[in-house]
Amino acid sequence: MADDLAERVPVPCKPDIDDNGVDRAQIRQMLDLTPAERLLLVAEFVGSLRPVRRADEDRQPG
Amino acid sequence: MKTANPVEILSRLAAAKVEFIVVGMAAGVLRGAPVTTIDVDIVHLRQPDNVSRLLSVLGQLDAVYRHDPRRLRPNESHLTGPGHHLLTTIYGDLDCLGTIGDGESYDDLCARSPDLELRPGLIIRVLDLPTLIALKEKAARPKDLAVLPVLRATLAETLKRA
Repeated sequence: MADDLAERVPVPCKPDIDDNGVDRAQIRQMLDLTPAERLLLVAEFVGSLRPVRRADEDRQPG
Repeated sequence: MKTANPVEILSRLAAAKVEFIVVGMAAGVLRGAPVTTIDVDIVHLRQPDNVSRLLSVLGQLDAVYRHDPRRLRPNESHLTGPGHHLLTTIYGDLDCLGTIGDGESYDDLCARSPDLELRPGLIIRVLDLPTLIALKEKAARPKDLAVLPVLRATLAETLKRA
């Protein structure tokens, strides 16, 4: 994650789960970021999972 | 593909003065919804000058149809139509949509797509949350229904801040 974005991503806070199971605290954290930071956060999160997925595929037999 | 960078895709489109609206879940993320997506969906103005600017940026991004092994590139006749063009670029997947929902075009969606500053001085149009929610409700596929609680909660939190 880019250093500046890493600094801006809020530390985890206490969940605030609504009646639909949605964590409102997570939403408020997203709203605290700029729009570009929100998109980069998601892209970097998904990108960070790719090596795990590749490694897991390599472990599959056949 | 280099590292996925949807902000770079949108920045290049905006810098080239391509007229487009970000729709789909990237619009949801830009509006603050904590959801994941791996592509950027845009509805572009299908007027020839704009399509020409769009094609120029797509060329810079090395955009090709992502499910076609021939690595076909979109052309003017493709992008002036109402269809969906699912592309992959050096910065990740980009879907260029002529229309969405019930045939809604760029012009139809403009009034419901307020400006948003992506980077200092770089303004893009992004579909608003009420319209995104309405489109998801109407589509009503399982994948659309699954994100509705998060989108609705994001709208509620956004309105509290207004």
